[in-house]
Amino acid sequence: MAAITFDGVTKIYAGKPAVDSLSLHIDDGEFMVLVGPSGCGKTTALRMLAGLEEITSGALSIGDQVVNNVLPKDRDVAMVFQNYALYPHMSVAQNMGFALKIRGESKAMIAEKVRAAAEILRLSDYLDRRPRALSGGQRQRVAMGRAIVRSPQAFLMDEPLSNLDAKLRVEMRLEIARIQRLLGVATLYVTHDQVEAMTMGDRVAVMRDGHLQQVATPQELYDRPANDFVAGFIGSPPMNLLTTRVSHGADVTLDILGQTISVPTRYAAAFSLPASGEVTFGIRPEDIVIATEGLRARVERCEALGAETLLHLSVNGPGASQHLVAKTGPRTSIVAGDDLSVTFALEHAHFFDVASGATLRAAS
Amino acid sequence: MSPGRVALFVTMLAIAVGMLYPFWVMISDSLHTQSQFISGSGFSLGSWRQLSAALPVGRQVLNSTVICSMSIFVILAVGLPAGFAFAKLRFRASSLVFLGIVSAMMVPLQAIVMPEFVNVTRVGLTSGYFGAVLVYAALGTPFSIFLFTTYFRGVPDELVEAGIVDGLGYVGALWRLVVPVAVPAIATVTVLQFIQIWDDLLVGLLFIQNTADRPITVGLAALASGRTTSIPQLMAGSFVSALPAMLVYLGFQRYLVKGLTMGIDR
Amino acid sequence: MKARRLTLSQRRQLAGVVFALPALALVIGLIAIPIGQAVYYSFTQWDGITTTWIGTSTWTQAFHNSDLWTALKNNAMLLLWVPIALGLPLAIAVLLHQRVAGWKIFRSIYFLPTAISWVVLGLVAERFFAYQGTLNSILHAVGLSGVTTNMLGSESTALAALGITFVFTMIGTNTMLFLTGLATLDPSLEEAARIDGAGRWRIFRHITLPHLSRFIQLAFVMTVIALFSALFSLIFVMTGGGPGYATTTMEFLIYQTGFSQGQFGTAALYGIILFLITGAVGIIQLRLIGSDK
Repeated sequence: MAAITFDGVTKIYAGKPAVDSLSLHIDDGEFMVLVGPSGCGKTTALRMLAGLEEITSGALSIGDQVVNNVLPKDRDVAMVFQNYALYPHMSVAQNMGFALKIRGESKAMIAEKVRAAAEILRLSDYLDRRPRALSGGQRQRVAMGRAIVRSPQAFLMDEPLSNLDAKLRVEMRLEIARIQRLLGVATLYVTHDQVEAMTMGDRVAVMRDGHLQQVATPQELYDRPANDFVAGFIGSPPMNLLTTRVSHGADVTLDILGQTISVPTRYAAAFSLPASGEVTFGIRPEDIVIATEGLRARVERCEALGAETLLHLSVNGPGASQHLVAKTGPRTSIVAGDDLSVTFALEHAHFFDVASGATLRAAS
Repeated sequence: MSPGRVALFVTMLAIAVGMLYPFWVMISDSLHTQSQFISGSGFSLGSWRQLSAALPVGRQVLNSTVICSMSIFVILAVGLPAGFAFAKLRFRASSLVFLGIVSAMMVPLQAIVMPEFVNVTRVGLTSGYFGAVLVYAALGTPFSIFLFTTYFRGVPDELVEAGIVDGLGYVGALWRLVVPVAVPAIATVTVLQFIQIWDDLLVGLLFIQNTADRPITVGLAALASGRTTSIPQLMAGSFVSALPAMLVYLGFQRYLVKGLTMGIDR
Repeated sequence: MKARRLTLSQRRQLAGVVFALPALALVIGLIAIPIGQAVYYSFTQWDGITTTWIGTSTWTQAFHNSDLWTALKNNAMLLLWVPIALGLPLAIAVLLHQRVAGWKIFRSIYFLPTAISWVVLGLVAERFFAYQGTLNSILHAVGLSGVTTNMLGSESTALAALGITFVFTMIGTNTMLFLTGLATLDPSLEEAARIDGAGRWRIFRHITLPHLSRFIQLAFVMTVIALFSALFSLIFVMTGGGPGYATTTMEFLIYQTGFSQGQFGTAALYGIILFLITGAVGIIQLRLIGSDK
């Protein structure tokens, strides 16, 4: 087992960087989730670690060894593929034991390791089956099994749950996290699903267009997003981002299409806000409160999700409007077309630079 | 059945009779002696009994079998790695090389038979089977590579990658993962090449100098060109020569159909 | 020598080259180089051992040689059988496609001659056309004793006998091709046309046939190539190219010129001509295969 370090790792495809000087450290035993929209470079980063993709520049190490030109077989990493890539002509047991067989381990040793892994994964009754005869969830577990019997330096997982139905996905999410903690092997887990990222990772790395945006624990990512992209990507529904004009008085005042809200200095102090001009004001849907007074908005649409209700609101000004989503309790009497007022839990407000999108939170 | 269906059935039966005609000729003509055949009456197994005196069928069927097996072995041995290379290990100019090899499918042996014959004779390969095996292998390789490459392109990249991450090299990935998965394609190539090589005349005629090493088709053709040949014996020999290819066809019909219609049925 | 450290993609490419090399060597050594040699030898006086460069005079001589023109004419005459070699299998495929009781057995029987050597089929055809053969028996039986002939023995009919045999040998392959084509036809199209009141012929003409056009093109090309390059076995056992030159096609002319007359240079030249003809047809085929992607 070992730590993994990406040090300025770049991958250029047809003249364009797919991954642009990625620096990321994964501690030994850590579960790192790499998340981002499709085409952001996360899978390329994973494949470079597996040795399936050439590294254009930078250094990638497993433990103390730089592995840029080390063959995949000498890297001792195990990978779980999105479509599982099980060997169709081998039984479940043979699939799981294949890497050990190649390595030349004894039959008895292989059988024992496969048996132990099958037990962890509840596959003991299926060891003689071919992959074709298994359900999607079982195949997924075989793919996991193939990785864990090897006791590798690291697990690499490429969207391993995306071919499962929603219910199974929730189940396997917990399962994979449980197994990883049990084995304590450094894991790089790639997904485009922010829920998986938030629930599984010890830390989460968010990527966009080949660039790493932020690496942090899930809570940190949620509470202190480094920029408006992370703010919008993490959380469902995403954080509301409103363009406001700022001015300073006794309190900080924000102007949204002619309506104003004032932010108490004790909350604004955490940010280095400009003296005047535009800033992006960010507020999560659950931090919007319906009140008798405040920002006036119209209800455009009302989505009752059972446990909660999402209100799609528009704030209308002269010749323009801005959109907001608020989360409120279940069984509300609010309907589309209603006019109402909202206030914000401003202790949870975020501010971002309009041009760069970077957070204005003062370094603490 | 409606009258229309009955008429259809009868038509198909008539066509079947026509397609079975060669087999009927071979069997019925062979069941005479030469004199019975000329007089047009009588029935005898004599031609079958004396067949091996006129035509060393045992040896020639063996020759055909060995030549077929060796050629198919070479075709698979060079075709499988090449198909894997073109489908999964793309190298610089690999698609151009692939196109070049596949175009060689269009070159008929007759067009190059003179230099081919002189070259193979010059290196001394026309004694024994090897000259013919090499020529058959060269003629069969382009189509096989076309078929294997097409088939391997349909095998997910992840299968190979999973093997590589599990510790295989490219040779291991080919023999332990791709080849086992490609059994249908291998069967198609094998059956198609078997029938083509078994049935061929020209290569065996020119590239095997030693009479004892002749395949059965060459033996038959030589027997047919004799002036005093017994027609019942010739037909008996024909039947023996046709039998193995027929059995292979009946056993592996679907692979043959797949091979012959390859490239158009997708 | 210590191996230079290769990058991963260099290693992959190297493996690719190494894997492709044996096949490439085989094709270059036994197909590509002989093409070049054939071109070279066509400009020489060549007996298989010594070569003397004589420039284009072999070519001028060849084009004044009536044998070449006879062979080309024979090939051209055989082309007249191609429509039948396509039409008959098309009809048979359509019949099979009706799926009457036992159609799979019929299909197996229809394809069966495909497995058999053209040497054997040629020998059987010889029995069919022989003076005491099946054809004449049939003619007798239907009261046409007057027209009985030995088709293979006469210069005027031998080529037709070869053509008929050729059609028979192509039935299996072409039927197979058309049947594959029919299997890809969406049955709901036919049903929709039937609901619209179209008759059998109209459905065939306006739905089935256009759908099959690609398959017909391919069968056409394959049949023409076979006609130029696969008749050797048939001719060898049925007629030996005769009587006279009546059944000597290009490919048989090459064999005779080279191996019976020992004129290696001229035979190589004829080979180039054959190569150009089949090459032209082959390019059409590549286009057809390529066009469906």
